Amino acid sequence: MSRRGRARRANRPIRRALCRDPRLLLRLGAWSLAETAPALVAGLAIARAIDEGFAAGRPGTGFAWLAVLGGAWLVAAAGARQVVLAVASIVEPFREELLRHVVESALRRSATTGRDPGAAAVARSNIQVELARDALASVITVVRSFAFTAVSVLVGLAGLVPQVLVLVLPPLAAGLGMFLLSLPALARRQRDFIVADERTAASLALMAGGLRDITATRSAGRVADRVGRRVGEQARAERSLARVSALRTASLTVGGGLPVLLILAGTPWLLRQGAGAGTILGALVYVTQSLAPSLGNLVQGLGMSGVRLRVSLERILGSGEPYRPEGRRVPPEAGIDLRDVRFAYGPHAEPVISGLELSVPAGDHLAVVGPSGIGKSTLAALVTGLLTPDAGRVLIGGVPADRVAPACRVLIPQESYVFRGSLLENLTYLAPAASPGAVDDAVAAVGLDALVARLGGYSAEIHSGLLSPGERQLVALARAYLTPARLVVLDEATCHLDPAAEARAEEAFARRGGTLVVIAHRLTSALRARRILVMDGTSVHLGGHGELLASCPAYADLAGHWNPLDAQELVP
Amino acid sequence: MRTADRLVRRAVRHGGPWLGVLTLTSLLGALMELALPFALGRAVDALVAGGPVNGPWPVTCAVVVIVGAACDVAGVRAAGESGARVTRRIRLRLLRYVLGTGPAMTRRFPEGELVTRMGVNAEEVGHAPESIVTGAALAVPTAGGLVALTLIDPWLTLTLLAALVLIALVLRAFLRATTTIAAGYQEAQGDIAARLVDALAGARTIAAAGTADRERDRVLTSLPRLRRHALDMWRANARAGVRAGAVIPLLEVAVLGVGGLRLASGDLTVGELYAAARYAALGAGLGSALGYVNRLARARAAAARVVGLLTERPVAYGELPLPAGPGTLELRGVTAGGLRGIDLLVPGGSSVAVVGRSGSGKSLLAALAGRLTDPDRGEVLLDGVPLRRLSAGALGRAVGYAFERPVLVGDTIADAVGLGRDTPDRGAVHAAARAACADAFVRRLPRGYDTPPQEAPMSGGERQRLGLARAFAHGERLLVLDDATSSLDTVTERQVGQALSGELGGRTRLIVAHRAATAAAADRVVWLDGGRVRAYGAHAALWRDPGYRAVFQATRRPAPPPGDVPPPPTPTSGDTPSADVTPPDVTPPHVPVPAVPARRSAP
Repeated sequence: MSRRGRARRANRPIRRALCRDPRLLLRLGAWSLAETAPALVAGLAIARAIDEGFAAGRPGTGFAWLAVLGGAWLVAAAGARQVVLAVASIVEPFREELLRHVVESALRRSATTGRDPGAAAVARSNIQVELARDALASVITVVRSFAFTAVSVLVGLAGLVPQVLVLVLPPLAAGLGMFLLSLPALARRQRDFIVADERTAASLALMAGGLRDITATRSAGRVADRVGRRVGEQARAERSLARVSALRTASLTVGGGLPVLLILAGTPWLLRQGAGAGTILGALVYVTQSLAPSLGNLVQGLGMSGVRLRVSLERILGSGEPYRPEGRRVPPEAGIDLRDVRFAYGPHAEPVISGLELSVPAGDHLAVVGPSGIGKSTLAALVTGLLTPDAGRVLIGGVPADRVAPACRVLIPQESYVFRGSLLENLTYLAPAASPGAVDDAVAAVGLDALVARLGGYSAEIHSGLLSPGERQLVALARAYLTPARLVVLDEATCHLDPAAEARAEEAFARRGGTLVVIAHRLTSALRARRILVMDGTSVHLGGHGELLASCPAYADLAGHWNPLDAQELVP
Repeated sequence: MRTADRLVRRAVRHGGPWLGVLTLTSLLGALMELALPFALGRAVDALVAGGPVNGPWPVTCAVVVIVGAACDVAGVRAAGESGARVTRRIRLRLLRYVLGTGPAMTRRFPEGELVTRMGVNAEEVGHAPESIVTGAALAVPTAGGLVALTLIDPWLTLTLLAALVLIALVLRAFLRATTTIAAGYQEAQGDIAARLVDALAGARTIAAAGTADRERDRVLTSLPRLRRHALDMWRANARAGVRAGAVIPLLEVAVLGVGGLRLASGDLTVGELYAAARYAALGAGLGSALGYVNRLARARAAAARVVGLLTERPVAYGELPLPAGPGTLELRGVTAGGLRGIDLLVPGGSSVAVVGRSGSGKSLLAALAGRLTDPDRGEVLLDGVPLRRLSAGALGRAVGYAFERPVLVGDTIADAVGLGRDTPDRGAVHAAARAACADAFVRRLPRGYDTPPQEAPMSGGERQRLGLARAFAHGERLLVLDDATSSLDTVTERQVGQALSGELGGRTRLIVAHRAATAAAADRVVWLDGGRVRAYGAHAALWRDPGYRAVFQATRRPAPPPGDVPPPPTPTSGDTPSADVTPPDVTPPHVPVPAVPARRSAP
């Protein structure tokens, strides 16, 4: 995707966060006015306190004006507090939206790639979300603060001695312009630095995790060069950022320092216009105490947080818009038809499945066998619509597999899903309306009764760490058994069960009715099936056990060397 | 801490010319900052009194402002340049050190810890010189501000100090409050992360069931709690910020009030009053100057953590090349970890399986055989040369390691397989991958051999096959397989076994084995027990020993049903435990596989 397109997408959540509730913006504006009250009155109060009070021999008037100033600061304190809370109520929903996106896209991505990104990746995206929230809060704070302060100062100066605006406005505009002009270059450098920093951290992590392997291949020198290059790139990025930041500092001088000198130079002129010494002082106070610091914060904040926000948002949203399923249909029956199906994991990859023709009538019991990595799970994913073919069609009862309503089919993968909750919640996950009797039947059918007894009933709270891999698989099997789905795909779903338990579970599914596809982990699964599909990488063969033994050398080879004892040892 | 300080001092020394620039500009800039209020005050007084615009004070002001700005600009650049330079230097040094030390490092420091120390901590140390300089320079306007204020009126200084104490108290209260709020916040965050990790493990189930929306809601159950805690944090933040933020201006107002009285009595000029107010603000900045002390303390702590990495000793390689030879591996009186006095001769070109209960030192023996670790006593020799005396290059070419969980280091799969080879040529990489049965699945990856390993969806078995390919690409003389086929299905394992005894058969093979079939396929078996070699002979001969058979039952995970213990292998070529070398082209005997259906019916 183009840079511009990425930027547009990154802007969307920000816009939504800002526009979610216009009343919040009004509240923020109102309290910002209060917060910048000193910027409005400080110079004026000091000027009047001196000119009309202390210098005029009327200390009472002087104290009165100072009281006004103190009051403004108290109002500002209250305003600042409310501003923080208003900003919080804008950025917290923003964070929640991002978090929701992270969760959704992580679930979707790992479902399609079949790869679990792991706890570390989860932690990384959580950090990005926090960074994005903090950066947005900071950007809102500095931009808003500068806008309100600048306006307040200009109004204050106009109230004090309007002529002074001629001396302050031009350099302020020039400094601001310089900064805005340097912003794109600064943003680029800042971005490069963040990216280089992340890359260095990633390559350090990879290196730290692979120390044993690096030593074993005696490639320390080469890896040192490679990681060293990343370290060097980061240092270069930091230095180039420092150069541009220095230029940015120059714009501060123009915007905040030059007005001071111009006011001094214009003092005789201002005095001739009738200003007092206090007025000159007041003008200096406005510029040095309010305008210059808030310009500094803007320059610092936008340069850093703005870019940080952009980068984090691109990281978070980079995975694309969450996919929304549409137009799901319920097929009239659960027969499977694959017509000239081709699938590859990328345009430059060799296809995993190519020219596959397969027809499984409704109610059939098919076993798929073949060495690991040959594409059996890919076939399961195509049949259940998790993957769509590059060419050809995959139809369930005449409906394209990716359009089939999820309730019509159930896939149990090797890694069974058990979530934190009661055993009953876990069992009725795909059939929330199941009757207690039906649950009992399913539990008995797949052989989960022993576990139910051990846990002390359906209401026991479970999580994946509490159960053995085999027990987790039994829970997943019972859950699938309970659904009304007419198409059941077991993708090595019994690999952690002993052969007897596996036989019991598979026979239960065969009795249950509907179309059953078993990606076989042991050859015995094939022997129980009505028909067997052999995948050996170059071709596929379909038939019964005896038939294939005679006609298919690949199957005979598998049957001869499929050591059931060792197969059981397969660790996912 | 003394060595840590030495590291910081060295960082300062290596700061280069830019650190000098930073020191100069920081000090000069601080002086300008201190001078400005005074000069401005004088200039205003002079101008009000009718002095010329190009009089000494207005000109001084201009010089002070311009020099100060120039110092800021140069300082920002110098800080970045010197920090980047020192950080890079420290990181490169750590890199060489950690890589040179190898796996011994990971034994002492968890991976995450290593990354933190080489990443964040090295950066903190790299920026320590900057913190020292900036912190020291900041003392000038703060301390100077207090002095100047005292010169104007000591009472103002006392008022100021009282307020500073107030601020410190406020900040302390804030810190206490946030730690308790932060705990609840982190708990809610942890809950969401844990649920997401759970759900990701079941992602295929969820995708197939179309329940992603429900899962999202389940994962985010704690979101309202998170928001509550977050808002609490914002509130605490706001409260403390407000208190701290209001104190300084109010203080300045007080200073203005007292100063105003003195102005009225003629003791102070308007310019001096302005200067007093500015100096009060500068003096109150002491808090942020103290923040630099804090930063320095952090840098010191970081330096201590970085120095902690440098206590291990990097592996020293010898200079010798490897003479021509068949790859004979010899252990002489080797003692290391749990192993005691191991003597072992593995004839060149033969295959030897290492078996034993878990904890018997199998992996340690494998690590010793190719110098992943050094023995405490004794010597390991390859073709008569002690491994310690071999050069890194010679060792890398001679020995190939494959592990149960290989970590693939490299930009692409091809790169990871050919890692460490001087001239990684594609042909050799592909041949090694073919021998490891990895070629077919690599070609199906999104970008084939050019796929970055991190982007390749791989099962444990596929990863193992790439690990084997890497070992095949390296170990021209000795292959050490440490449980390297445990995740392969039996068909693939058999093909790999054929490659090992066929095209790779000329190489010496040391194979840590958990399965009886693997041990049976080797020419000989080393049986480790209690840190010693209990027996060294052919599998078939050892199998008669019930203790030997028990090794395979004990290491099985999960324990097999009783009927599933493999039967003793039928000796195919006599079972004399001979020391002779199996000719490379002889296929090792397989454990006969019983007819499947008969064995499956009932337990």
